[in-house]
Amino acid sequence: MADSLIAEGLEKYFNPETTAEVKAIEGTHAASYAAKLARVKVVSAYPITPQTTIVEKLSEMCASGEMEAEFIKVESEHSAMACVIGAESTGTRSFTATSSQGLALMHEELHWATGARLPVVMANVNRALGAPWNIWADQTDSLAQRDTGWIQCYAESNQEVLDMIIQAYRLAEIVMLPVMVNMDAFFLSHTTEPVALPKQELVDQFLPEYNPKYKMDINDPHAFGGLAKPDTYMELRYNIQKSMEDAHRLIPEVADEFEKVIGRNHGGLIEEYQTKDAEYLIVTSGTITGTSRIVVDQLRAQGLKLGLLKIRFFRPFPVKEVQSVLGKIKKIAVIDRNLSFGRCGIFFSELQAALYNCECRPLLNGYVAGLGGRDVTPKTIEKIVNHLIASEKGEDLIWMELNI
Amino acid sequence: MKDALESNNGKPVFAMSVTDMHKNKTGSWRYMRPIYDEKTPPCIKGCPAGERIPQYFALVKEKRYQDAWHLILEDNPLPGVCGRVCYHPCEGVCNRKDFDETIAIHNLERFVADQNVGNSFPQRFFAEKTGKKTAIIGSGPAGLSAAFQLARKGHAVTIYESLAEPGGMLQMGIPKYRLPREVLEKEINDIKSLGVEIITNTEIGKDKPWQELSDTFDSILVATGATKSRPMQIPGEDLEGVSSGLAFLREFNMQHKRDIKKKIVIIGGGNTAIDCARSAIRLGAYVTIIYRRSRHEMPAVPEEIAEAEAEGVKIIYLTNPIEFIGNGKLEKIKLVQMQLGQPDADGRRRPVPIKGSEFEIEADQVMLAIGEVPKLDFLPEGVHEKWGRVDVDAYQMSNNKGVFACGDSANGPIGTVVDAIATGKRAAIAIDSYLTNQETEFVHYGKVVGFNEINLDYFKKEKRVKQNRNNQKEVLSNFNEVHLGISESDALYEAERCFSCGICTYCDTCLIYCPDVAITKAPDGKGYIINYEFCKGCGLCVHECPRNAMTFEEELKWRIV
Repeated sequence: MADSLIAEGLEKYFNPETTAEVKAIEGTHAASYAAKLARVKVVSAYPITPQTTIVEKLSEMCASGEMEAEFIKVESEHSAMACVIGAESTGTRSFTATSSQGLALMHEELHWATGARLPVVMANVNRALGAPWNIWADQTDSLAQRDTGWIQCYAESNQEVLDMIIQAYRLAEIVMLPVMVNMDAFFLSHTTEPVALPKQELVDQFLPEYNPKYKMDINDPHAFGGLAKPDTYMELRYNIQKSMEDAHRLIPEVADEFEKVIGRNHGGLIEEYQTKDAEYLIVTSGTITGTSRIVVDQLRAQGLKLGLLKIRFFRPFPVKEVQSVLGKIKKIAVIDRNLSFGRCGIFFSELQAALYNCECRPLLNGYVAGLGGRDVTPKTIEKIVNHLIASEKGEDLIWMELNI
Repeated sequence: MKDALESNNGKPVFAMSVTDMHKNKTGSWRYMRPIYDEKTPPCIKGCPAGERIPQYFALVKEKRYQDAWHLILEDNPLPGVCGRVCYHPCEGVCNRKDFDETIAIHNLERFVADQNVGNSFPQRFFAEKTGKKTAIIGSGPAGLSAAFQLARKGHAVTIYESLAEPGGMLQMGIPKYRLPREVLEKEINDIKSLGVEIITNTEIGKDKPWQELSDTFDSILVATGATKSRPMQIPGEDLEGVSSGLAFLREFNMQHKRDIKKKIVIIGGGNTAIDCARSAIRLGAYVTIIYRRSRHEMPAVPEEIAEAEAEGVKIIYLTNPIEFIGNGKLEKIKLVQMQLGQPDADGRRRPVPIKGSEFEIEADQVMLAIGEVPKLDFLPEGVHEKWGRVDVDAYQMSNNKGVFACGDSANGPIGTVVDAIATGKRAAIAIDSYLTNQETEFVHYGKVVGFNEINLDYFKKEKRVKQNRNNQKEVLSNFNEVHLGISESDALYEAERCFSCGICTYCDTCLIYCPDVAITKAPDGKGYIINYEFCKGCGLCVHECPRNAMTFEEELKWRIV
């Protein structure tokens, strides 16, 4: 029974009809292959652990001619983002990748990519910020870019990394907003998993050639990036918000379309697991989700009506999706591998705010765990569930497994 | 769903102008002004004749060898000669020397000349006759250069040459292994094709009186060179076997006299000494050069010294003869060792004899090559001289109106072929304005581009080409040319290496970098036009120009003008 289930799952994942090759690769290389399959024409990036292998692979592919793209070497992440902004301005599909301090250095340019309405796609490897130096998993780097206007999604597996980067281009080039695809440092970036590389012709079918209505063209010169006075700036911001709302609507549509062509669907803005009759719910993002699935299965076998909600997109935030799922649940545990100092876990506060205008407000606990790459094991999650069941009043910030 | 880049009013949803940019005259923002401004490369200034080196390289790169030749000719009618014998001061100042290796300008000049052995002068060199007549005394490089420039202006030129063949020092002095005579002959014939008359075997003051010249011609140019060997003024100079090096070269080169002795000693360290030594060694002699200073002070071209040594010439430095010893015939030379003392007027350290260091060596023959001076006894009374040369002003004119002098017979830069060509050209420019009553206009060089003004990002380090040469053993048995020039592919490679300092190569870098699209190519493709209505003075074009053909100046300066 179990074997056939696995076989069925594999069949769904590695559909030979749509798969060119199944490769055992780490998450970073999944990102590299995705950029290649998306027929990216310009790559510019600056190496930073644990993102380096993304760029390494891309530079190899550019050098060997396997990938028909310009690889622009730069002296910083700020310049890398500036380069892809320049390339995208001319209507050229471009890619970059970074992590942690590198992403922080890009901050100013991230705003620019949004405001200039450039559909840049970037892979970010979630890594803790210094000081002190730490190269391991932590989502605070990308969550700190919350207000830059980038669409953000969080992957659970290497396959999801690859699929989401391809989908990101499709989405970005419709709504004309940049997309950041996040993966946890080492748990994904440096862990090898089998990944199905879809056939190039199917990716081409899913992701048409990019040709924006307005672009920099020496044969049709226009001024770009000029001054917008108070009489126009606000409207331009309004347009960005509208496009974010369009993205909210389009994300599930793009996922369905991807499924139609390639045969895989990782969900829309959220993914529900065992939520139908659930009384208790864990809310996760990134790789903690995979661990939580096992705990849900184990505790369900013991009779606990436990479910799991995976947040796939942080921006746009799935407010109505969250409301429709959480409204029916008694007690909810939000697990955050991130922290906003002076408040609590960032997913928690977003979620809590989303439920405020809800009729039914469940008990909501915020757990901060695994900062700076510390393991979040099934035991940790079990402890969280037990704590949740025993809770009588919601708590915003509960530190897990703190050695003090 | 509507296009995300378009808002409800049909305008783009980001900051982009919807009309073209011509409305926005960004030129008003400018406080610095880029100027398309070619400058002087060091090689052009370094070449006494002022050959436009990067410009003819540009033509070489396009394989337009005939055009390249014409361009060199404008400044120097003897590129075949200079491509072989010039000491190429241009290369010594080449900016490329601070990057990898200096450009082989000398070899390229020869290459261009050699490509054109079958070609004659372009039509534009044949000017309408002015009716003015100039006599030139001496058909050496100075006289030939002046004759060419004057003939190009339409003046009638007659050259008087005392020897049987024209060419001066090129004919009598320079050995054939350095300058095959057909090369010289070709270039003299080209000059003659402009109508220049060369009357040989006619020494002014002997075969023809000065008065006849001054009666017949509108101006006279003295270009007799320095042909009289300086004596040593030591005992035994009158012995048989003691002679002048220049006389040996002349007799060998022009009359093919080969009767020389076995053990030959040459006194002196200049090019004449080296020419004598290398000629004598080809005739089977054992040759020793005696020079009173060290190698560092030796005036001969370093490459020539090295070649002489490689061919077996022995050089004894810091030694000077004090007596030639023999009984009617030379047998021995008494020498004294020298040491270098304080620097003298020309900056070289003066040699001082070391007391008690005298010694003797055996010799069958001595050639004196310690320098040559002009022979000016034909000049009329009253022509001023200075240090044995005609004293000329900035316009190469003597105190005697209408009498000019150039080359080694005049004061000024002396001693080399290219200096002679340069002063001959200068004299011709001055004579032309004298004959036509016009202001004399010499070329004035502006700013010379320095190494630190080259944008090295645009260049990669590359090896300099090497000239082909005849087999070392074979060249010693005859007077065949030692060096054979460079191949076409080497010439193209070398021309490509040139930085082209300050001289635009139309590479489009400025145009590509201009963020305001304010730079356009000139209609003929040769140059760029900056549209100051839009140039906002960011300076990118100036900064990026690989060769400093752009200048950045404060706008204020231009506004006030």
